[in-house]
Amino acid sequence: MSGKIFVAHDALSGLLDDLSKKFKVWIPQMMDQASGHIAFGVYAPGKKPELTRRSRLSPKKILFPSMDTLFKFTYVKDPKDPVRYTIDLKESFDNGPTLVFGARPCDTRGFQTFDQVFLKGQYKDVYYERRRQNTLFATLVCQDSDTACFCSSVGSGPADMTGSDMAVIPIEGGYVIEGLTDAGRKLVETSGSAPSPEQAAAAEQMKRNTAALKIGEDDLTGYADDLTRRFTDMDFWREQVSPCITCGVCTWVCPTCYCFSITDEASGMSGERMRSWDSCMFYLYTLEARGHNPRPTKMERYRNRVGHKFSYFPKKYDGMVSCCGCGRCIRTCPVSIDIRKVVKELKETADDRA
Amino acid sequence: MDDKTNALREHVKGIFSNLELVLGWEPGYDPLHTRPFYVRTESDIDRLTANCLSFQNLTRYLAKSMNAVDPAADGRKIGVCVKGCDSRSLVALIQEKFVSRDRVYVIGLPCRGTLDARRIRALVPDPARIRSVNAEGDELVVETDRGISRFALDRAIARKCLQCRYPNPVIHDVLIGDPVTPRLKIDAENPSVAAVEALSLEDRLLFWENQLDRCIRCFACRNACPLCVCQNHCIMETRMPKWITQYRNMNEKFMFHMIHALHLAGRCTECGECERVCPVGIPVALIKEKINAIIYEMLDYESGIDPEAVPPLLTFSPKETGI
Repeated sequence: MSGKIFVAHDALSGLLDDLSKKFKVWIPQMMDQASGHIAFGVYAPGKKPELTRRSRLSPKKILFPSMDTLFKFTYVKDPKDPVRYTIDLKESFDNGPTLVFGARPCDTRGFQTFDQVFLKGQYKDVYYERRRQNTLFATLVCQDSDTACFCSSVGSGPADMTGSDMAVIPIEGGYVIEGLTDAGRKLVETSGSAPSPEQAAAAEQMKRNTAALKIGEDDLTGYADDLTRRFTDMDFWREQVSPCITCGVCTWVCPTCYCFSITDEASGMSGERMRSWDSCMFYLYTLEARGHNPRPTKMERYRNRVGHKFSYFPKKYDGMVSCCGCGRCIRTCPVSIDIRKVVKELKETADDRA
Repeated sequence: MDDKTNALREHVKGIFSNLELVLGWEPGYDPLHTRPFYVRTESDIDRLTANCLSFQNLTRYLAKSMNAVDPAADGRKIGVCVKGCDSRSLVALIQEKFVSRDRVYVIGLPCRGTLDARRIRALVPDPARIRSVNAEGDELVVETDRGISRFALDRAIARKCLQCRYPNPVIHDVLIGDPVTPRLKIDAENPSVAAVEALSLEDRLLFWENQLDRCIRCFACRNACPLCVCQNHCIMETRMPKWITQYRNMNEKFMFHMIHALHLAGRCTECGECERVCPVGIPVALIKEKINAIIYEMLDYESGIDPEAVPPLLTFSPKETGI
């Protein structure tokens, strides 16, 4: 077999029905018609994947849930001496076989950032690792960028299949699904019938055409030193960040923001240790125990967000920018702060701006 | 709002020497977006815009991002552009002493409604590439890569604007443009609240559960609100006492939105910012509108109208009626 199958539009539900018997399948779906809210949800027969419009929230939560129980604990009293107690710990994993179907290249590529931090350092994050190993990505070759998209500016593109196990290529009448990794090829070959030569050729053509597209005007890599130079230029940051309302939207919708908090959520004698998303845009994020806050205002906090993605991360990880160019932070920002503009202006001198 | 960009720029140029800065709007990253803009120098004035895309309520910056209480040493004022709804927030902030009336120069902009970007995206055939958006009379003209779409303005403006009762700023030092006719009478019933109330109790609960389930706890609604003034001391974030857990479940989401709404009882001026900024499209302003309806019925009070009035839940009167 060729490692490719063709799925007609009306056969897509059948394919997802089959896959959902083996996997927990996540698809982008319409969550609320009135507001046009699209996000990733678990597939169940009857649900329709939304493949022609971008999702507002990224698939980040699939590998990195917004709340994740690390373990459960119970204090067990010694009945003979009730002052003494032992702690009973139970590990907690939720990581069955999972398939993400219909994410965009930027969505899938976002996990490359997570891999660097959670898998490749001295310590591995076992919760992330188990989910990562058990998850396959069938990624859509992206056809419809909008004015906030800039994947090509951060070293990617609308046909970039980095981190994907399968490519879902839209052609006339349906999709050609192509296996890219061993696991992806194996799954594809048992899931349908090969495309006709014409369909295969159309898919190749579509991939080539899409790969040639440039989404985003400027190259936003290579700004690591410009940020360092600009670090103490508070006039610059004031100008960029004045409209910011310090909500957490940009970090919550971001496929590469991985910061978290750990809390014990207990009641009585038992509870859970939980990891939940945290946001560097919040005051409490850097508040220290004795009351000092090294990032007291939104200027320091936003500078950190830009610095982390475009300077500190690439300096640490071989020039890799920790931004996938999906544009969600731009699209959802209540005050339309545009991170592309901020990064680009890092290079300009004070004279350019006057 | 009809386009008032030129008139606004002209006016600001004339008075800028008396002002420290002006809070206004400038074009955003594409023709469907606008961002708040601090006019700090003379040369900034030509970046100002005022039109149907002037969404943001700028009074939140007065309360949260600057000192708008103490007079400046040189006596210069802070200029702020307000639509009708924004001006009510300003009145509420003056009542609560977050802003001194003498400290601000209020540029009033009568407004026939601001656009709802989500509605426009649903209306045009190619929402990804919008080239221009213009209100022409009662029509909205949207140009995309695939051509020009025209539709009635009412189909594209925000929910709050469709039921607007105060399109003209209630306080101002100058008014740019002519006053416009309110869509609803002052004592008209809120049609959005009535629509939810028409549901059975079970359906109403289901409606809110479906809506609030999407909440991602980003706090954009709280932070955009001009009257949510607790800032870094919000109960959602304090750990001692720990009122709210980190669980993203219905209990906690419901708790947050109810507390948000209750803290705004008799204070919310229905500017709709909480609802506009919600990234997941929850009609959060509806909860506050319902509470406002109760306040109006029980205490005969409407927030943000009279700078001298004391909001009923910020005082105690033995003669209180209606309860």
